[in-house]
Amino acid sequence: MRRLLAIYPTLLRVGFASALAYRAELLVWMLTTNLPLINLALWSAVAREAPVHGYGTPEFVAYYLSTQVVRLVTSAWVVWEMTTDVRQGVMAMRLLRPVHPLLDYSAENLAAVPLRAMLALPIAVILVVLESAHLSHDPFTWACVPLLIAGGWAMTFLVMSIVGTLAFFVESAGSVFELWLGLYAVFSGYMVPLAFFPHWLRVVADVLPFRLLLGVQVQAMLGQLSHADIARAFALQALWIAGLFVAVRLLWNAGVRRYAAYGG
Amino acid sequence: MVHVRELSKVYRVHQRPPGLVPAFKSIFHRAYRNVPAVQSLSFDIGPGERVGFLGPNGAGKTTTLKMLAGLLHPTSGSALVNGFVPRERSVGLLKSITLVMGQKQQLLWDLPPAETFALNRAIYEVPPAQFQDTVRELSELLELGELVNQPTRQLSLGERMKCELAAALLHRPKVLFLDEPTIGLDVAMQLTVREFVRRYNERYGATVLLTSHYMEDVRALCPRVVVIDKGRLLFDGAIEELVKSVKPNKRIVLKLSRPVDGADAARFGEVMEHEPSRIELDVRPDQLQAAVAGALASLPIADLVVEDPPLEDALRELFRRSRTDGADSR
Amino acid sequence: MLRYLRLVGIQVRASLLLAMQYRVEFVVQGFAGLFWSAATFVPLFVVFGKRPSVAGWSFGQALLVLAFFLLLRSLLDGAVNPSLVQVVEHIRQGTLDFVLMKPADAQFLVSTAKFDPSALSGTFGAFGLFGWAFWKTHHAPSPGGVVIALLLLAAAVALLYSIWILVVSSAFYVVRVDNLSYLFTSIFDAARWPASVFRGILHFVFTFVIPLALMTTYPAEALLSRFTWSDAAASIGGALAFAAVARLTWRGALAKYTSASS
Repeated sequence: MRRLLAIYPTLLRVGFASALAYRAELLVWMLTTNLPLINLALWSAVAREAPVHGYGTPEFVAYYLSTQVVRLVTSAWVVWEMTTDVRQGVMAMRLLRPVHPLLDYSAENLAAVPLRAMLALPIAVILVVLESAHLSHDPFTWACVPLLIAGGWAMTFLVMSIVGTLAFFVESAGSVFELWLGLYAVFSGYMVPLAFFPHWLRVVADVLPFRLLLGVQVQAMLGQLSHADIARAFALQALWIAGLFVAVRLLWNAGVRRYAAYGG
Repeated sequence: MVHVRELSKVYRVHQRPPGLVPAFKSIFHRAYRNVPAVQSLSFDIGPGERVGFLGPNGAGKTTTLKMLAGLLHPTSGSALVNGFVPRERSVGLLKSITLVMGQKQQLLWDLPPAETFALNRAIYEVPPAQFQDTVRELSELLELGELVNQPTRQLSLGERMKCELAAALLHRPKVLFLDEPTIGLDVAMQLTVREFVRRYNERYGATVLLTSHYMEDVRALCPRVVVIDKGRLLFDGAIEELVKSVKPNKRIVLKLSRPVDGADAARFGEVMEHEPSRIELDVRPDQLQAAVAGALASLPIADLVVEDPPLEDALRELFRRSRTDGADSR
Repeated sequence: MLRYLRLVGIQVRASLLLAMQYRVEFVVQGFAGLFWSAATFVPLFVVFGKRPSVAGWSFGQALLVLAFFLLLRSLLDGAVNPSLVQVVEHIRQGTLDFVLMKPADAQFLVSTAKFDPSALSGTFGAFGLFGWAFWKTHHAPSPGGVVIALLLLAAAVALLYSIWILVVSSAFYVVRVDNLSYLFTSIFDAARWPASVFRGILHFVFTFVIPLALMTTYPAEALLSRFTWSDAAASIGGALAFAAVARLTWRGALAKYTSASS
C-alpha cells in the first residue's frame, strides 16, 4: 500500500502529460458526446406545444445540460485501450513492469478527468446561468454531487476493466461493451428522463446499476433527490464498487493465466 | 543466474483450411493441433555471462525468452531466474530483469522519452540519486543528449532504440533479455548498441541473453552460444567450440601475387573461393601443416592466413544436420 | 469498370472471412446490430407516447424518416466507417504508401478497404420499418414520389460518401483523428428525426452545412408526396456540388501527402 502511494502520483503526472499531448483528440472525442444536445432539441420541439410529464422547455434544458456535464466527466476509455493492447502485444510490456497494469490504466484514465472537467466547464456555466431556478439549492446535495460523480466514474472504470479483461479470452471484447453502452443509454436516464418510463420499467431501472452512473447525479443536481435518496445511492454505489472490484480481480488473474498459457 | 531444466512449451493452434465455407463452419466448430514450440530445453547461465541465443525463425527463441520473463507459462519443466520462479511474476523478479524487443516498444509514443524514464523511475521505485546517476551514465554511453526531450514519434528508428534501451535499463536489472535489439538498425548504430550492451554488462556484472540474426552481434558480444532448432537444444558452449565441432576443417586464405590455375591450388585442399588474386581453401586439421608448407613452396604467395570457418557456415551446417537427423528418426 | 467490381468483390470476401475469424465478435455484433435497431424505436415511442404529432409529423410519418435513417446508418457502419478506420490507421503508421503504389485509383482503394458484414443486418430492419410506416399512415406512395425518393436516396448516399471523403482528407492534415469518424456518426444520429424538429442554428447546420435533412427527411417527404420535382432537382444539385468539393479536397490532401512524405 505504501508502495502504491509512492508510485501513484507519478503515474498520474505522466497520465496528465499524456492527456495534454492528446488534447485535440480528447476535444474531438468529447464533441462526440453530443446526444444530450440532440435530445434537448427534440424534446424542446415536443414541449413547445405543451409540457411533458411536467417538463417544459426550461426543465429539459436543465436536464440535458446536466446529463451532458455528468457524462463528460464520468467517461473512461480503458476497454478500447486494453483490447488494442492485447491484440498488438503491448500487454506483454505492461505485464513486465512491477506494477499492476490495471493500476497503470486507472492512473491514465483518471489523469484525463481534470482536462475533461475543464472542457465541460462552459456547458456547466451555461447551465447555471440559464437554469439556476431548476437546479438544487441545497448545499448538502451539492457537496454530495462530486462524490456521486466519483463513485460513478469508479463504477464505469471497473466495468470497463472487466470487459477489457475479456480481451484475454475472446479476440475482441469491444463489441461486448457496445451492448453495455446500449443498456446504459436507456437505463441511466441518458436518453430520456427515467421519470418518463412506465412504472414497471422504472422498477427495472432501479434494480440495474446504470442509474448510479448518471441518473442519480443528474437528479441530485436538479434537486430531485432527498438526503435519504442520496444516502441510498452512496450505499448502492459502494456495494457495486466492492462487487465489481472483486470480480475484476478474479477475472484478471484468470485472464493472465490464460494469456500465459496461450501466448500473446 | 538463469537455470532452465527440461523446459517445454506446447501451443494449441487453431486450424482452418482457406475459403468461405470452412470459415463459416469454424464459427461453430474449431479444429486444433498441438504445436511444440520448445522441447525439454536445459541450460544454465552464470552471473555476468553474455550468451547468444541462436536459431532459425520459429526455433522457439522468443517463446523461451517470454517464459523466462514470466509472460508465458511453461507446459512442463522449470526455470529459475535470479532465484525467482518466473511464472509467479513476483515484484522481485520483475525489478531484476528487463526484456527488450527490437520490434516492440515501451516508450510513450507522443511524449518525450524523459517522461517514460520518469514513469519507470516510479514504477521500479528507483531512488532519486541512483536515478540521476543512471540517467547520466546511460545518456553518456548512448549519447542521448537532447533526444530525451523530443516526442518519441519524431525520433528515428536508431534514436528510438537507444532511448528504448535506456528506459529498459533505468532500474539496473541484473538479467537482460534482448530479443533482436539491433533489428533494422544501420551498421554504425548496431555497433553502438553492441558496445553499449558490453559496457553495461561489464559495469554492472549483469547477465545477458541475446538473440539476433546478425552474427556480428553474437560474435562480438557473446563468448558463449546456445543454439536451438525446432525447440530442441543443438549446442551449448563457446563459439570456437561450436565451429570446431561442426566444421573442424580450417580455412587457408591465400593472397596471390599473380593468378594461378584452380587445379594447382586444389592439390592442397578444397577450393571454397577463387578470385584472380585470392584463393580460399578448406583443409582437414591433420593435413593443415602439409598444406601450408606445400602451398608456400609451390604457389606465388603474397600473404597467408589460417582461420576458422565463419560462424554462419557452422550454424548452417548444424541446422542442416539436425533437420536430416530429424527426418531419419521419423 | 469490371476490374473495379471484381476488386470490390474480393474485398467483401476478405472482410467476410475476417469477420468470421473473430467468431464471438461476429455473433455479438450481429446481436448488437439488432439491438441498436430496436433501441432506435425507444425514443420514438416515448415521444409519440405523449403526442399524436411532433413538429408537424405523425408517428407513421416519423417512422418513414427513421427507416431511411436505419438504411443509411447500416450503410455507414457496414461499408463506410470500417474503411475510414483502416485509412486513418494507414496514415498514422505510414503504410498508406503501399496503397498509393497500387495500380488503381487511390480513392477507390481506400474507400473499399474494408466492410463490416454484420452491420448490414440493419438494412432488414429498415425495410420492415418502411412496411410498418405505410401501414400506419394508410398512404401508398405515388410512383412519382417513389422515383423522387430513390433519386434522393442516391443523392444521400453520395452525400454520405462525400462527407466521408472530407473526413479522410482531414486526417492528412491532423494527426490522430481516428475519432473523427465517431464524431460524424454521433452527429449523423440527429438524422433519425424529421428536420423540422430542429430550430434556429441547428436547423441551418443540418440543412446546409451537414445536410442531414437531405438524407432522411427529404426522401421521406417525397414518399409522402410532399416533395416536388423542382425541390428534388435543387437537392440533387446540392449533393453533386458537395461531391465535387469532396473529390477536389481529396486530391488536394493527397497531393499534400505525397509531397510531404519522406
